[in-house]
Amino acid sequence: MTANRGLTDRLIEWFDVRTRHRTARHVLLDEEIPAGTGWIFTLGSVLLALIGVQLLTGAFLTLYYAPTPDHAYESVRFISSTAAGRMVRGIHHFGASFLVVFLVLHLLRVVILGSYKSPRELTWLSGLALLGLVLAFALTGYLLPWDQRAFWATVVTINIARLEPVAGEAIAAIMQGGSTIGALTLTRWYSAHVIFLPTLLVLLVVAHLVLMRLQGSSGRPVRPKAGKAFPFYPYQAFRDTVVVTLVLLAVVAFAWRGMPPLEGPADPTDAGYIPRPEWYFLGLFQLLKYFPGRWEVVGAIIIPGLAAAFLALLPWIDRGPERDPRRRPLIMIAVMVGVLAVTVLTTLGWRDRPQTAAPDVWTMREIGGRAIAGYSGCAKCHNETGVADSLETIAFTRGAEWVEGHATDPEMIAPGLREPPAARSEREIAAMVAYVRRITRQPYPGYPKDIETAATVWARYCVGCHVIDGDGGHDGPELSHAGREHDIAKLKEWIVDPEAVDPDADMPAFGDRLSPEQLDAIASFLASRK
Amino acid sequence: MPSTDPASEPSSLPGRRRALALLVNSTVAVIGGALAALLGVFAIRPARGSSRDRWVRAGTLSDLTANVPMPRVLAVPREDGWYRARSRETVFLVWNGAREVKVFSATCTHLGCQVLWDAKSKHFKCPCHGGVYSAAGEVLDGPPPRPLDIVEAKIEGADDTILVRV
Repeated sequence: MTANRGLTDRLIEWFDVRTRHRTARHVLLDEEIPAGTGWIFTLGSVLLALIGVQLLTGAFLTLYYAPTPDHAYESVRFISSTAAGRMVRGIHHFGASFLVVFLVLHLLRVVILGSYKSPRELTWLSGLALLGLVLAFALTGYLLPWDQRAFWATVVTINIARLEPVAGEAIAAIMQGGSTIGALTLTRWYSAHVIFLPTLLVLLVVAHLVLMRLQGSSGRPVRPKAGKAFPFYPYQAFRDTVVVTLVLLAVVAFAWRGMPPLEGPADPTDAGYIPRPEWYFLGLFQLLKYFPGRWEVVGAIIIPGLAAAFLALLPWIDRGPERDPRRRPLIMIAVMVGVLAVTVLTTLGWRDRPQTAAPDVWTMREIGGRAIAGYSGCAKCHNETGVADSLETIAFTRGAEWVEGHATDPEMIAPGLREPPAARSEREIAAMVAYVRRITRQPYPGYPKDIETAATVWARYCVGCHVIDGDGGHDGPELSHAGREHDIAKLKEWIVDPEAVDPDADMPAFGDRLSPEQLDAIASFLASRK
Repeated sequence: MPSTDPASEPSSLPGRRRALALLVNSTVAVIGGALAALLGVFAIRPARGSSRDRWVRAGTLSDLTANVPMPRVLAVPREDGWYRARSRETVFLVWNGAREVKVFSATCTHLGCQVLWDAKSKHFKCPCHGGVYSAAGEVLDGPPPRPLDIVEAKIEGADDTILVRV
């Protein structure tokens, strides 16, 4: 025992002579903390821990991620295919949100307690730069999964950059890389996200910490009379550890509870997609809506720019030595107005979401597509033991045109492998595409037989001219609420022979194309739409 | 508030200081350990289904002549993590004239060249290092260490479809 201890001590001594680790430890941990410094001063450590977790999880995600339009989406799906992958991606995704939240809290703490005042102006500016950097991380990271959300949010981001006066076009061109948002944009944003921004981040964090240590912790604005300064370790470190643990547990809880969203793969031709930014950009997103047309630059650039300039100049605007918030009423009013504005805008942005069917409810087209894929014989090859992956697990990144070719021309993908199938109409193909897009993201929840029958009829015929829940053609009237005006009998009459009901009707008769069962199903489905 | 707060009143008592230090150190160790375990599992987990076998159609009996090996190139779907590719693999189908087909891999068991069927000598010959196999896949001459690999096959359906497991 004593011999062991002697050896350990000697080893530590040996290292200390060569590395001075005891001195390093002393410099790092024995910092003097002013008396009265409490729990509110743990926010910086929370940020440091969150940044560390983001760097680690991010580095490990690059083991599997591939930054090309052909593979990015598949590689993210692959990451999400195991529990550990879901967890790592979840922590990285929700950790980013927590980082933004705690950055804002840390900033508020510094503003309210006047910690930015002389001689800490540069610490304050480096902190603001870090805030900007983290938002740049959020923006660049958002594109990487290459799903619909990612793609269309980036379209909006680049268009906003275009609004900047004078250099807007040039900046947008640099962000975009190529002539369209595509392969060059993705590699560029990936490099920024994993190489350039992290390097800057580490340098700035180090600068921020060195400056903080040089000037010492600002402590409370009004020092308690009793009490003396105490060392950081283990007293303040204890508070830091408690808060950091709670925050990390919260991040893990989010990652555990919900998978980060992954929508369908990016489809640049799907102009109907309504993009929404990540929640912490919703305030800016909402602000844009109040400045349409040529005034857009006010909401996109001028107001955020003025807010940033105000923050940057704060140490020179609020110059007096007084740090007590109760004696700085103007600054406190400005802070409250700012917080209120951001909260209101974010809430409004949150509530103002487009009216679409709930995302986990299947559309009629998708349900119908399932039956059409069924009688089209897709499962002959696409099954567990077949030549091709089953539809549930397929790597589906193709558009309708490719699927049409694939479904109608067997030579296209696998020569000699199968007989040419019966021809399928454009609408049937579209339904199968919709179905495959859905099934690769969500297992079939199961719908009653008559809904399935109605959906098949709907997807084969009706959807060409009629809309339900925002999906369909516009030549005929919308049928989302068909049941409000007509009962089953009337709907049946109409479907069987429209001209018999209204001689001017443009709709073709379906009486001899539908079986009595199909007619019943579609009519009672439409009648149920109140 | 700070009188109830264990850390607020820095005590000169070494016991309290040690207890706090222990708490901090062990919590940091637990967090670090958990993160390392998660990232470790994430990094070394085996790729999903990389070696799943499939039955692939390799023609019908009517394409074959009894006891004459017929080469077939199969497109074999390969799952490589998130990357899906098709590799091409050559096999020889040998029909015994009844309802049985023997399927040989065309890959020489020596160093992996593709063997060819020599109709004159009725042998498989490897062009690389002179390996010779009989029509039954047995080594007759040259360096190959073992007979040609046999691929599992079955005949199915009314049209006598030959399915090969790859």
